[in-house]
Amino acid sequence: MSASPAAIEIVGLHKSFGRHVALNGLDLCVEAGQIAGFLGPNGSGKSTTIKILLALLRADGGRIRLLGQDPWSDAVALHRRIAYVPGDVSLWPNLTGGQAIGIVSRLRGGLRRERLAALLERFELDPTKKARAYSKGNRQKVALVAALASDAELLILDEPTSGLDPLMEATFEACIRELKADGRSVLLSSHIFAEVENLCDTVTIIRQGRTVESGTLADLRHLHRTTISVELAGPIDDLAAVPGVHDLVIDGRHCTFTASDPELNGILAELSRRQATGLVASPPSLEDLFLRHYAAPDDVPAAARVPVR
Amino acid sequence: MSLDVIARPGGSAASHARPMSEPLRGWRAMVGFVLRRNWLRLSVWTLALVAMIPLVFESQRAAFPTPADRQAYAAVANTPTVAALTGVPYAADTLGGILVIKIWMTIAVALAFAASFLITRNGRAEEEEGRTELLRSSVLGLHAYTVAGYLVIGTFVVAVGALIALVATAVGLPAAGSVPLGGSFAGVGLFFVGVSAVVGQLASTSRSANAMAAVAIAVAFILRAVGDLNGSGDQAGWISWLSPIGWAQHMRPFGENLWWPLALLIGGGVALCWLALALEGRRDVGAGLVPDRPGPSYAGRFVSSPFGLALRLERASLAGWFAAALAMAVLYGSVAIAMADLIGSNSPLAAMLGIEAAAVMDTMLALLVMLVALVAAAFAVQSAIQLRTEEATGRAELQLSGGISRSGWAAQRLALPALGSGLILAVGGFVMGAAYGVARGDASPAYELAGAALAYWPGILVTIGVVIVAIGFVPRLAIALSWAWFALMAILSVFGELFSLPRWLIDHTPITATPRLPAADLALWPLILLSVIAVLLWAVGLRRFAIRDLQPGA
Ligand SMILES: Nc1ncnc2c1ncn2[C@@H]1O[C@H](COP(=O)(O)OP(=O)(O)OP(=O)(O)O)[C@@H](O)[C@H]1O
Ligand SMILES: [Mg+2]
Repeated sequence: MSASPAAIEIVGLHKSFGRHVALNGLDLCVEAGQIAGFLGPNGSGKSTTIKILLALLRADGGRIRLLGQDPWSDAVALHRRIAYVPGDVSLWPNLTGGQAIGIVSRLRGGLRRERLAALLERFELDPTKKARAYSKGNRQKVALVAALASDAELLILDEPTSGLDPLMEATFEACIRELKADGRSVLLSSHIFAEVENLCDTVTIIRQGRTVESGTLADLRHLHRTTISVELAGPIDDLAAVPGVHDLVIDGRHCTFTASDPELNGILAELSRRQATGLVASPPSLEDLFLRHYAAPDDVPAAARVPVR
Repeated sequence: MSLDVIARPGGSAASHARPMSEPLRGWRAMVGFVLRRNWLRLSVWTLALVAMIPLVFESQRAAFPTPADRQAYAAVANTPTVAALTGVPYAADTLGGILVIKIWMTIAVALAFAASFLITRNGRAEEEEGRTELLRSSVLGLHAYTVAGYLVIGTFVVAVGALIALVATAVGLPAAGSVPLGGSFAGVGLFFVGVSAVVGQLASTSRSANAMAAVAIAVAFILRAVGDLNGSGDQAGWISWLSPIGWAQHMRPFGENLWWPLALLIGGGVALCWLALALEGRRDVGAGLVPDRPGPSYAGRFVSSPFGLALRLERASLAGWFAAALAMAVLYGSVAIAMADLIGSNSPLAAMLGIEAAAVMDTMLALLVMLVALVAAAFAVQSAIQLRTEEATGRAELQLSGGISRSGWAAQRLALPALGSGLILAVGGFVMGAAYGVARGDASPAYELAGAALAYWPGILVTIGVVIVAIGFVPRLAIALSWAWFALMAILSVFGELFSLPRWLIDHTPITATPRLPAADLALWPLILLSVIAVLLWAVGLRRFAIRDLQPGA
């Protein structure tokens, strides 16, 4: 039990733009010191949630605590403890990247110049260039470097790596790990599964403005089925009747099926009774898990939701 | 924005690899593309410009119904004020000649601005936003998009000229004068298509391209003003030949109806477009001809404050408006004494107006001070709408995610239009008074006119207040509404009487509600009332901006 309040606590968040409902009862929780992944298909409401956290948009309903305070009425004080990287970074074309970093950081309350210099080097960013000469990736790096060089307790990153090349992506991941080691919290919205899998302690998946799944990566995996591929010397045709076996495909003596975790023991016993050879079991990939939610119809069973511990 | 035109069949890697061999490839499709993107703007500009002709014509026919009225007007029309602002009057005893005196310069300058803004919008601005890159990377030739822009905007100015010729003939003016009238407008438009084409290649941002074009128009205007002031009889002085606007004036529609100056305008416009294309062939997409040098690697404390940032971002535009106000102040201030002499000796005018020369002088100075106030108001509007620009680009979100309140941030940004306009007023009035005073050998007008100009400050703060309320309540329309508001104010205060608009409307804009010093008496209550309205508008607008959703996107 940690004494410090959760970094982010959202319950039942609602937000509409005119008649369009963007957020419809969204829940999100990020414990202090955690890195939380925030996923969902395009237009599901990630950026909207983030902008509400930063008081750039005003919520219509719901309960939000940010570092234990109210994100709207305590905005100015909170923003000195938070660093934000927008999804679409737009800079002043006639100012240099370094000037933009300075302006953003000074408004936030300053940064460590020596840390900034190191970050500029790691991200191979030339701060003396005019922003109009930057590529999309370099514009993103400007906001990213400004955020990473700050002393913020909480970093809110909206698809921070969407313009970065793989090498820079690796640098980014290293930087986030260092932040975590410092005990700081991160909310990371992303479409890159590998990034989330590599970095995040917890994941929240939203769809159409509603949270459809959240929990630690282990929790989420646990909820989903392992794929088993096996050769059987014994009887194979009645395998479908074994409790917990789904999506069975039989090809001669070879069969493939998915198995839900709670029944795994019973299934393994059945398999060994049928003289299994060459068994391959693959855990559910995060990607499968996400894609299932991304493509799922509206009514994802509420049972699939795990409360964050 | 639709880019479907570029996805035409026949685009292949081979054609992509040699764009130089067919520099115009695809221009036809681009003409369609430019038209689709601009038809509304083109229609509005055309309508606004052409509609001036019947409006002014009818009001002048009503004002001077008989030939005798026109004769009487012609006897007194040739004043330095008219010469400086609209050109040397000629054929002032005809309705056509009067139409030219009243509205020719306004339409010509407006068309020059329209041509420049449209060329920039379809050239440098596109490139700045990276869309040109997208277009050129497809099957287009190097110059196709640029040439399409020149063709469409060139056709637009010619169409405006042709429509004006038609409308002028239709209201009953002689065709022999109406056609050169239209031709003179088309000629000015074409020349400034060329000018803005070249500055679009030199500048690396659309803002500086527009600023350079505006300076070119201002220089052309001032050169011909000097020429017109130094004329003899109804002929302008030689300096007027240094200005393309002067060339068009020398066509003298409804007077001599000369055609050959039009050749200078068309030739100049085409040559400048040619030069622009040559420049385009020699530089990279996105770059100006002057390469960027490395800048500071961190921001100083001053630039990081919202006020400092506003000053840094708008210093060029502030300097430009300042230069405009100063040029106007020096020019008109120093000719004021000559005007006063002329008016004094030109007794028919004074007699007709039934006032003394000193009062005529004050009336004229009051008009000139009001023009300085309009320049200051234009700067104030342009600077205040930057608040919305920052929001629309998403840069406001970046700043407001820092430790600063929305109203604090906005108030700091708005301090620039408030203080900057005050400075333009004070310095513009002072310099005009000084120039006039030097001519008269007396220092007191400098302070007097500085005060007269500063009286417009509350009105300008109201003007800014209207912009803030628009940004607060209808952010997506705010920029268009703000300029419409400024245009309405400028038209009512300068042309209200010319168009015979209702008095209650003319007298109740922030500019016209201000006492017209030094001609009018200093009345305090309008200034107090304007200040109170300004405070209310600022408070309501800022409050709304602080509590609404930020709305990035155009
Ligand atoms: N200012 C606005 N006005 C109207 N609708 C909006 C506005 N901002 C967002 N929306 C709508 O709200 C929904 C949520 O958008 P949001 O940007 O939060 O999605 P997102 O999850 O960040 O998507 P992406 O992955 O594409 O970034 C979308 O349907 C979007 O069209
Ligand atoms: Mg988003």
